[in-house]
Parts: sequence; C-alpha cells; structure tokens
Amino acid sequence: MPERLLNKLKDRRIELGLTQAELAERCGVTRKTVNTVENGVFTPSATLAIKLAQALELSVEQLFWIER
Amino acid sequence: MNSYLAGVLVGIGAVLLAAAIAKFRSRKLPGSVAEKAEVLSKRRARMLPPLAAIFLAQQASYFSTPATTAPRTVDTVKISAWLLLSIVLLAALATKGFWFHSKEVRDLIDDENTRANRSHAMRSGFLFAMGAGVCVYVLTMFEPVTAREAVHIMMSAGIATALIQWGFLERRAYQDA
Repeated sequence: MPERLLNKLKDRRIELGLTQAELAERCGVTRKTVNTVENGVFTPSATLAIKLAQALELSVEQLFWIER
Repeated sequence: MNSYLAGVLVGIGAVLLAAAIAKFRSRKLPGSVAEKAEVLSKRRARMLPPLAAIFLAQQASYFSTPATTAPRTVDTVKISAWLLLSIVLLAALATKGFWFHSKEVRDLIDDENTRANRSHAMRSGFLFAMGAGVCVYVLTMFEPVTAREAVHIMMSAGIATALIQWGFLERRAYQDA
C-alpha cells in the first residue's frame, strides 16, 4: 500500500481563526499552495512544511504524519 | 518587405499589444502583493487551455498549404507569427511569466506548488514532443515529411501539451476538497 502524507492543516488553521489567504501570507506562498497542501493534492517541501508548522504553532510531526 | 519578416513584425506587434493590455488591466488589480498574485494566478489558470487552442489553431495555416506549392504571402506571415508565439509561450513555460509585473508579485506567483505544476507540465510536454518525433519518424517511412513540417508537429505537440497540462493542474489546485 502506498504511503500518504496526511495533515491537520485545515483543522488547526480554523482553530486559530485563520483563512487560507492569511496563512499563505504568513508562509510567503499563494492561497492555492495552502489549498493543495490541505487537500493532500500537493506534498510540500521540508522548508514549506516547517514554515506552515511555525505559522500554526505546532511541530512538523504534529502537523504532518504518514499513513501506511 | 519579406513576408516572413512581416510575420515576425506582426507577431512582435501582437506581443506588445498583449503586454499593453495586461499592463492596463493590472491597474485594476487589488493593492497587496498577495491579492495581486491570487488574481493573476487564477487568470493564468483560466487562460492556459484557450491559449493552447489558439496555438494549435495556428497550425491550420501551415498545413492547409500543400508543401509542393509556394506558400502565399499571408501564409508566410502567419507562419512567422506562429514561430514568435511559440518562442513567447516557451519563455512563459520556462520562466515565471508575468514579465510586466513587479518582482514580488512574480516571485509569489511562482511559488512551490506552481513550480511543481510547471515542472510536471514541462515533463509531459517533453514526452509528447518526443512521441510526436517517433510518429514523424515512422511516417517518413511511408510519406515524405519536410524538416519544417516535422518541427511544426513536434513543437505543437510539446508546447500545447505543456500548456494544457499546466492549466489543468492550476485549475485543480484551486478546487476545494
């Protein structure tokens, strides 16, 4: 079974009361990129994963995990 | 004036006109860099497939002229314009595009996801161009194909595929789950 990178980006973003556009601005990417990461369409680089985790005040491991 | 040169000039004129329209339209864009990038990125996603259709439609002017007859002046103008459009589209595919906008906007538009989509589209374009090359090679065993026809077919296959694929990926990126 292929491995999938899952995340709780959307839940955490909503918890903090952020919009996709606000989170995107904090990370220096477009809203489209945040949307694709949230939907699992796009696997972010380590750099972006760290930026997202910092913006959402979590560790990378808390934000992303691998489903086997 | 040489009709090929006329075609190149027509093409340059069209590019300059498109740039002027883009510049004029950008006056209405929202203030912040992020908002500008959002609007332009969505506009690009909408425009890529129609651009591929226009690009492919231009092939008709070339292939509608039999290779044995001398092309009419209007055809050579169209062919030269096609060549210029091909160069512009290749440059747009290979770079960030939106050359008439600020560096901040261009950097943001070409973010991680866009670069990944663009690479994917370029790979598909390359594979289709090579596939077209194989088809042309096989075709030459049965039909004479001029070098110019072969280049037309391969470039059309490669560029149009890349544009369509990129447009598809960009549109999908904006869809909610």
